[in-house]
This record gives sequence, structure tokens and C-alpha cells, in this order.
Amino acid sequence: MNDKNSQKIVDIIQNWARKHSIWVLAYGTGCGAIEIPPTMTSRYDAERLGVRGAATPRQADVLLISGYLTVKTIKRVIRVYEQMQDPKYVIGFGSCTINGGMYYDSYNTINVLDRYLPVDVYINGCMPRPEAVLSGFAQLQKRIAAGRATGAQHYKENLEWYRANQKKIIPNWVMPDYNW
Amino acid sequence: MEMIHIIFLIFFGGAIITYFAGKVSKVLQDILFLISVLVPAYLFFAYVSMGKDVSLTLGGISLIWGVNHFSWFFSLIVLGLGSMAAIYSLGFMKGKERKGYFYFNFILSIMSMMGILLSQDLISFFIFWEIMTWTSYLITIYSGNDIQRIGIKYFVFSAIGAYAMLMAIVMVHHLSGTFLIGDMIKIYPHMSLSMQIWIPILFLMAFGVKAAMMPLHVWAPDAYSNAPMAYTSVFSGALSKMGIYGMVIILVTMTNQIPQGTWFREILAWLGGITAALGTLWAIRQDDAKKLLAYSSVAQLGYIITGIAIGTELAMLAGLFLAVMHALFKGTLFMVTGAVEKQTGTTNFNEVTGLIRKMPWTFLAALLSIIALAGIPPLGGFVGKWMLYESLITSNHYLLVILVFFSSTAAFLYCYKFLFGFFLGQEEKEWSHVKEAPAVMVVPMVLMGLFMFVLGTFPGIVLKPINNGLVDLGFVDSFKHLWNSSIILNGWGNQVVLQPILYYIIAVFVFFAIFLSWKGFRTTRYVTTKDISSSGEVPAEDENLTFSVGFMQPFLRAVAPAMRRQIDKYYTGIAEGLESLFEFMRKVYTGNGQTYAIYVFIFVVVVLLFKNVLF
Amino acid sequence: MNILGAVVTFLLAFVVGMTYGGLNRKITARIQNRKGPPFYQNFIDAFKLASKKSAIHHGAMHHLGPAFLMVSSVVTLMIVPVLTHSQWFPNLNFQGDLIFLLYIMTFGPLGMALGAGQTGNPNSAIGVTRGLSQMVGFEIPWVMALVAIMIQYHTTSITGLMAAQAQSGTWLMFSSPFAFIAAILAMLGMFGYSPFDVVIAPAELASGPASENGGKYLFTMMSSGSVFAFVKLTLYVDLFLGGADNIIMLLIKTFALYMIPVLYSNTSVRYRTEQSIRWFWGWPTFFGLLAILQAVIF
Repeated sequence: MNDKNSQKIVDIIQNWARKHSIWVLAYGTGCGAIEIPPTMTSRYDAERLGVRGAATPRQADVLLISGYLTVKTIKRVIRVYEQMQDPKYVIGFGSCTINGGMYYDSYNTINVLDRYLPVDVYINGCMPRPEAVLSGFAQLQKRIAAGRATGAQHYKENLEWYRANQKKIIPNWVMPDYNW
Repeated sequence: MEMIHIIFLIFFGGAIITYFAGKVSKVLQDILFLISVLVPAYLFFAYVSMGKDVSLTLGGISLIWGVNHFSWFFSLIVLGLGSMAAIYSLGFMKGKERKGYFYFNFILSIMSMMGILLSQDLISFFIFWEIMTWTSYLITIYSGNDIQRIGIKYFVFSAIGAYAMLMAIVMVHHLSGTFLIGDMIKIYPHMSLSMQIWIPILFLMAFGVKAAMMPLHVWAPDAYSNAPMAYTSVFSGALSKMGIYGMVIILVTMTNQIPQGTWFREILAWLGGITAALGTLWAIRQDDAKKLLAYSSVAQLGYIITGIAIGTELAMLAGLFLAVMHALFKGTLFMVTGAVEKQTGTTNFNEVTGLIRKMPWTFLAALLSIIALAGIPPLGGFVGKWMLYESLITSNHYLLVILVFFSSTAAFLYCYKFLFGFFLGQEEKEWSHVKEAPAVMVVPMVLMGLFMFVLGTFPGIVLKPINNGLVDLGFVDSFKHLWNSSIILNGWGNQVVLQPILYYIIAVFVFFAIFLSWKGFRTTRYVTTKDISSSGEVPAEDENLTFSVGFMQPFLRAVAPAMRRQIDKYYTGIAEGLESLFEFMRKVYTGNGQTYAIYVFIFVVVVLLFKNVLF
Repeated sequence: MNILGAVVTFLLAFVVGMTYGGLNRKITARIQNRKGPPFYQNFIDAFKLASKKSAIHHGAMHHLGPAFLMVSSVVTLMIVPVLTHSQWFPNLNFQGDLIFLLYIMTFGPLGMALGAGQTGNPNSAIGVTRGLSQMVGFEIPWVMALVAIMIQYHTTSITGLMAAQAQSGTWLMFSSPFAFIAAILAMLGMFGYSPFDVVIAPAELASGPASENGGKYLFTMMSSGSVFAFVKLTLYVDLFLGGADNIIMLLIKTFALYMIPVLYSNTSVRYRTEQSIRWFWGWPTFFGLLAILQAVIF
């Protein structure tokens, strides 16, 4: 009983730290990336929430899938996602990650991001304004504080399912079986 | 027959027997080689005592040999490094041809260095100096490539130096009637001023060539790279110290006695500083490990020359301590290069990389040597560098201390280049078969590395013999309290305790290493060098991601103006000018007998025709 | 050797260093006309990094790299006197410790460089070479300033210089102005903020040497960086501003000095490596030479 309580307190403190310091990988995967610079700079200032850019996946917490994901990009995104350290989150940015958006019938893009990567928060819009982006980050903060941002865990547990989906669309698979 | 005679006999006889034993059995040759080097070393340290001079009379001239404290200190370097290098060469030369040739010259090199140190008179000094020159020349051309350019250049420079020394010896004999070094030092103040200037200059030419002082250093990079690495550790570690030995004797005992001596010392100190700075810059540019270490040797010798040229007690201590450290770490580094060359076949940074997990002991020896070279505490190089800076500041050489500090900081660059080029970086597939060097090569390297660590904590082990040696040379001994092995005397004040600091460094390091390892122990894993954050790409197995070309390019671009002129080009220019002069002379001395007959005929005719005018 | 005092000193350095880092971000934000993170943001970042659940390393040297950095910071902290007279903050200074400091300050970055080299990431190696080259650049005016003040006051220890300032009543900043200027210009290079941040260059070089460090390794690096920043500022306060008697004065003086690199970084663009090396060998070296001349003549 004592252990569970102290574990809960440790979790609460850790989640508080994690929610107020979110490092986003500097990786613009699609056209939604055009909305990131206004969010980070002076007018809408994401840094007051603790959101900062990180240079490499080893240092980043959040992978921001900004817009459509082509088949060519998803191969690199999967590699980058697996190189990040736990706990890590994925934010689906824009309508293309939810249901394919503008490119729903393209031969080259994916339609539902959740089949290939575990998504924690979706921000819809095409593209979302910086206020919507900030609200999406706030939503992520709430999920982290509640302890429900467990996408990475879910990915590890259902790896075969995710891998099967990924291998279905990526023709030349060069990744190792798992990267951790 | 005295012990010194026996020692020389074992060296000389051992060399000859080892050469011929190769025809009988290889194992016998190896054993005899080790005996020829190790037994005289043991006999020397166990039985030879100071002050007793022995002599050998050859054709009316007696060669006098004896030990004093100063030469005993240098013999530590020669015999210690020589023994380690001998053990190392057993492994290094395995499978190579003409081993007898190599062993013969190696043993004779060591013998000649001991001979130089033991000589009390100038004739035997010169004899052993010449033996040292031609044995090292023979080993330099062992591999057989580029004999003309590299070997002849080395030999010409050494020969010019040696004949300058011979001229000085003859002048001394003419003035004093004796060949003894002690007598030469006694009558030096009574010579005329021009003699007092010329004799040290001639001697310094010989010693400067061996100690690779700029501008006499041009033979060093090629000669050090071309000799087999087992010998280069002795070549660069011990042979260059013979030049330092001679310099100290000349500078301390001779030029100190005249008021113009300060000019000598100033010029030498500045030459040493410039050598240090320029040698470092050229070392950064090299892509081949052997050349890099060779230029680095030239630079380190610059520090030593600056130290001994300044002339105060602390500076001499610093210079000689740095000499010991240089022998240790340069010997180890050349051995490391030899081990890498033996296992991979190349020493070019652009070709071989990522050997840390395959040759961990070699890496450890290299790491310890590089830390000592860079002068970082807690290893021994820091003690020497510290004393050098202090002595420079206390003797008012402010600009020189900036120059030495610049070269010391720039040395970090080529230190990192050496370690990164060989051991760190990407692990490529073509080198995945490399294994650790054989134990007989690894053990001397690691032993020398650990000894550098010991010297960092207990510098007194070496400072005591240096102190005794300097007292022998005539320094007033204000350092009697250097007995305690962990206290460094500060020329400006109180005693200093360095040992607790080193313990704290180690304690803090261990604490944080444990913290990093214990925290999250089960969730930390190892990944290979192919799993890097390379923008999401998965590098293929044979894809080359090594960064080695243009390694220090920004820095080299920044210092490019200082490296525009190469001294080598001036010498080559002089050599080519002389060649064209000789070509012109060829027009007169055609080598044709009939032309010479005509010359004689014309001469006789001219004399007969004009004999009334001429006579 | 007072273990409790050492731990208290370390905690003070950690807290103050992290706070200054956060204040740097806050002031930068205000200069850029936005609100910026709270001043305790660096603590949150450090705590988040420390609570990462997984970590990777590329080998033994890479694993131990941050430990080298910490050794350098902590040992420097133990030598630089934090307050002039206090029994709570022990230090181990000795004669000649200025020269020792010069070398121990490079021990950490070199160990880190070896660790970064083992990762096999070309970006790390490029970052390391740039960092070492830049170090050769700023060490020259720094050493010139130190040699000048060592000559002028005939001492090689920090406590000796502090005693000289107490004795004469004026700060070294006023009695050796050229040395102070050269040292401040060298400090710009030491901190590694703009315009000398080509070593890290987040968008160009993927943060250079730290590119493969995450989780606990990055936590150790960040902590070491903040402790080291505090130590450097305290060293300058001791050498040039007469030391500090109590913590309030120490905080005021170090913050005043810290504003110099922060404000300069907000108004500069990044220099290339050779440009920064040449810059350091220009005006700062000139002031260093003037400092040595002044020390010799006066």
C-alpha cells in the first residue's frame, strides 16, 4: 500500500516535470510544418509552456507529424520514432493524419496515422492555426498529467500489429526488427 | 676488466652473435637479442658505481668512461625505454625478414647511446656519436623505400653536425692539449672571445640536429615515419635526448661561465618556442599517424629546449622532467602506431578507424599517453608543464610563455585527431576482423602508460635523480627538500601538495561513473555506431560514414598564413642550386681521360712558354 | 575536508547555475518581445531528463563522457573560493592553482570529446573539432590576461590575488583594466553563446557533441554545464571584482558579469570557426598584450 502511494507521488512529480518541459523534434514532415515557426516565435510563443525544439531524436520527447505522410517519409519517421527515448509522444497534426484529409485518395500517402504509429493527441485543421497548436499542446499536457499518454507502451506491446501495417505499405524494408 | 668494459663487450658481442644466430634458429635469435639488451641494462644498474672511471687505450689515445649523476639519469631513459622497446620488437618483428639486420643495429644503437653517456673524453664521445648515426641510418632505410630522399637527408644532416663537432673537438685539443670533457669545461673561460662563441656554436649544430631543433629538423618527420615503429620509439624517445644531453652540458657548464652566455640562451629559448609552435601546427595537418607523431616529437623537443635554455634551476628541472615524460609517452605512442600497423596494415587516418572495441588495451595505452602529452592532470605531463610555465614567468619571458601555451593548447587538436582517427568514430565493416595485438607488444605499452600515471602522483621518483644530476653539473642546490616524492617546489613560495587533489579527481569521477551506470541500469542498452541519428536513414552495412578527411580544416584555414613557408623547401632549393653548380663543374671535369690529357698538355705548354714571366 | 560543506557548495552552484540558465532564456525572450518560460524552467528540463525511462550508449567512453565533464566542473568548484571567508564552503586552493585551473578546465571537454567521438556520428566529431579549434582561439587572450595579473601581483594563486585586492582596496578591474577587458572578451568564448556557438549550432550540426546523448547523460551534461557556468563567473568575481563576502553580494556580482555574454549573444550572429579564431587573435589579443605591457612597466 505504501509502495503504491509513494509510487503514485513519484509519478505525479515526474508527470508534472514532463508536462512542463516538452521538447519537439525539429522535423517538418509535411506542409503543416509551416505553422510551427509562428507558434515558436514571438507572437504565439510556445516557449512559455516549456515547448522547445530539439535537434536529434535522442534528445526529443515529441514527434510532430505535421500533415500528410508519404510512404517515403514514413520509413524515416518510424526509424526516428524508435530512436527516441521513453517516454515519448506523437502528435498528429492536421486533418491528413486523421483521415487522409486533402490527399485521401493519393497513391502515395497514408490515411490513418494511428495504424502505423501510436498517436496521443490529434490537432485537426488544414492547417491548424497557432492557437489550435497551442491548445493541442495543452491537451497533451493534460494527458501527461493524467498519466494517459502511454502511446510508447502501447507500441511496444502491439509491435507485431504495427509492424504488419508498416510493412504492408513500405516496399523496401531495411529496418531491423526492433530498435530497442 | 671493469664492469663497464664487460657491458660494452656484451653489447657488441651480442650484436654480432645475434646477427649470425638468425641462420641457426629464429627463436635463438630472439632470445639472444633480449639477452643482449636486458643483461647489460641489469648489470649497469646493479653494479656500476659513480665516480670510478675506467679507460681503454687504443693506439696511444686513452678513452675514458665513467658515470656521474647526470649521465646516470639519462641512462635511465635510454636503458628503460630500450628494454621496453626490445620486448616490443620481439612481437613487432615477428614474421618480418632481415631480422638479424634489425637486431644488430638496434643493439648497437643502444650501445652507442650508453657510450655517449659514459664518455668522459671527447674522442670516445665522437666515436659513439658516429656509431649512433650510422646504426640509426641503417634502420631508417630498413624498409627500402625512398632511401635516396629520406636516408641520405638524415645522413647528410647528421654528418654536417658531427663534422662541426669534430672541428670543435680539434680546436679544443689545439687550445688545451687534452680531450677530457672536464678539462675542456675548465679552460673554457680562458679562451679568446671568438673561440668562446665558435666552439659552442659548432657543438650546438651537432646537438641541434639530433634534437630536431628548427631549422635543423627537416630530416625528422621522414626518418621517424620510415623506420620500423619498434625502433622509432627508441629513435624519438632516447636518441633525440642525446642531443639534449649534449646541449645541457654545453649550455650549463660552458656558456654559463661567460657573460655573453645569456645571448646563447635567449636565442636557443626562442628557437625552442618557435619549434614548439610551428611543429604543433604542422602536426595538426598530417593525415598519417607516423608523420603526426614525428612533428609532435619535434614540437615537444621544442619545449624541452626552451626549458633547458632558460637556465634557472626550475627551468632545468622542468626541461629534464619533460624529457623523461616525452621518452615515455612518445615511445608508447609509436608502439601503439606499430601495433595498429601490424594488425591492420596501415596507419593512415583516412583508411583505418573505429578500433576501440577491437584493441582495447592498445587504446588504454594510447589514452594514457595522450593525456600525458596534453599535460592534463592527473598524469605526469602536467607536472612538467607546470614547472615550465612557472620558470618562464619567474624569469620574465612573458611572450615566450604565451607561445608555449599556444602550442600546448593547439596540441589538444592533434591529440584528439590521433585518438579519434584510429580508435573512435564509425566502425567500418572492412576492419571488423582486427584483433588485439599480441601480449608481448601490449604489455610494454600498458606498463609505460601506468608508469606515467605513477609519475603524475609521485613526480619525486624522477625529480630526485634530476636534482642529483643538476647538482653534479654545478647548480647550487637549493632543492634539498625535494626528497619527499609528492611535493612540488614552487619557485615563488611554499610547498604544494598535489596528491589530495588527484585523489579528489578520481573520487569524483568514480562517483559520477557509478551514478551514470546505476541509474536506470536495466533500461540502458548498447547500440552500435550504425544506429546514429542520421536524419532517419538506416545506414547500410558497407556505407562509409567516417569523418576523417579535412579533419581540422577550420583551424588550418585560420592559421594558414603561418604555414605558408616550409623550411624543407629552402634546403631542397639549396641542394638543387648546388646540383646545378656541380652540373656546371661537370663541364670542366668531364671524366674523359683524353680531355684530362689535353689539360695536362696545355698546362705544360703554358708553363714552358711563359716561364720567364712566371719564375 | 568538509564533506557537508562540499555538498552544500555543489548544491548552491547547481541551483544558481540552473537559475541563471533559466534567466538567460527569460531575458532573451523579453528582448524578443515575448513572455518566455518561467525562470525555473531549466530545473524542470533537468528533472524531465533525469526521469526518462530508457537510455542508450555507444560504448564505454561515450557512457563515461558526462562523468569527465562533471569531474572538471566539481574539481574547479572545489578550488575556486566561493566566499572569501567562510567555513561552510571549503576549498582546496594552493600556490599555483591558477595554472592548475587552466588545465583542469579543459579536462572535462576533452573527456566529453572522446565520448562524443565514440558515437560514430559525424556531427559529433565535427562539433568537437570546432570546439577544440575555438578553444585555441580564446585561450590566448585568457592566458595573456592571467599572466599579466600574475606578474603584476607576484602570485599564482587565486587567494593571493584576492588578498592583493583586499590589501590595496581597489578591485583588479580598475588596477589592471586591460587584463579585465581581455579576460571578459575571452569569457565570451568560454560560455559558447552566440556568436561563438558554432560548436553546438542546433540547426546546422544537430547540436554537435551532444547529438547522441539523451536522458540521464544529457541530464549530467546540463548539470555540469550550469555548475561550470557558476564556477566561471565566481572565478571572474574573485579575480577581478574583489571576491564576495556573503551570498547576496556574490549573486549580484555574478549576475552582473553574466549579463555580458547574455546581452552580447542576443545581438550577434554566429561566426564561422575560422572567423571566431581570427577574431580572438585580433582585439582581445591586442588588449592582452597591452595588459602584459602594463604589468611589466608599472
